[in-house]
Amino acid sequence: MADIPDRIVLKRHRDLEGRKNRIWYRRGLLMLLVVFLCLGLANVFGQRPHGTTVDAGAATLELYAPTHLRGGLLYEARFTITARQDVKNAMLQLSPGWNEGQQLNTVEPSPLGEASRNGDLLLTLGHIPAGQKYRLFLQFQVNPTNVGRRNADVTLYDGGTKLVHIHRRLTFYP
Amino acid sequence: MDVILRAAFVFAFLFVLMRVIGRRELSSLEPFDLIMLIVLGDLVQQGVTQSDYSLTGVILGIGTIAVLQVGVSYVNFRFPRLRPLLEGEPMVVVQDGKPIERNMRRERLTIEDLTEQARLQNIGSLDEVAWGVMETSGQISFVKKS
Repeated sequence: MADIPDRIVLKRHRDLEGRKNRIWYRRGLLMLLVVFLCLGLANVFGQRPHGTTVDAGAATLELYAPTHLRGGLLYEARFTITARQDVKNAMLQLSPGWNEGQQLNTVEPSPLGEASRNGDLLLTLGHIPAGQKYRLFLQFQVNPTNVGRRNADVTLYDGGTKLVHIHRRLTFYP
Repeated sequence: MDVILRAAFVFAFLFVLMRVIGRRELSSLEPFDLIMLIVLGDLVQQGVTQSDYSLTGVILGIGTIAVLQVGVSYVNFRFPRLRPLLEGEPMVVVQDGKPIERNMRRERLTIEDLTEQARLQNIGSLDEVAWGVMETSGQISFVKKS
């Protein structure tokens, strides 16, 4: 039989002495990858929307938007206001987390006015008669460099009167 | 800075991934593997440069990967004790015409794969083989009986 090839040590390269457990490291790393993928399937990294509804006497505010996002993603936030009583001058106040590091591509229907209230974005929606719904669609794109967690609170006002508040945090993955 | 960090992360991730998936997958380049490579390249590009279309961004991304590749190569050369970790080690899969099944199973290598590789090297039967070694690249080298 031919000689053992140079630099081949039978104990190590045939009998795998000292490297028998290495396969388990490999399998362990592969399992970590599978766990990561499972977390992805479980919406840990976004971007499945999540609905939050807060009911106050005069009106109900429903927010339907993802809470976990990644750089570059396009997504929609839907705000549904159901007026139980006449809301004479509905105003939606969005905390800066909605706009920080994100492109606001579309707001439909266009609000009657836009302003800043104590650093928050204030959208004036106008009159919502009792028993009617008002749906506001905001389309966003996350800036690729936007990473971390931000407050994305929403408050519904009737003029100067606070009606409903939703607390939300957005998590941005790289 | 962001592009450099992303490129470095992708490099490290791909490096570990290539070590994890095993050598058998790396050695063959069937048409499907070729398509997967192109898809992989496209996905990697999106993750590294994202919506940065600038020439500077491209140079930063490619430059980072090139420098890291040279770095790993240098570490591999300079520190022999790290070679098994960075590059892997050869594994004997045939001795005196007989396949070593335990080692083949470890790399998900079938007897058909082995005989195919032998035929590609003008060896009709494993009986002619003294040593068959799966190299770190995933290719199998054969030493014929004298």
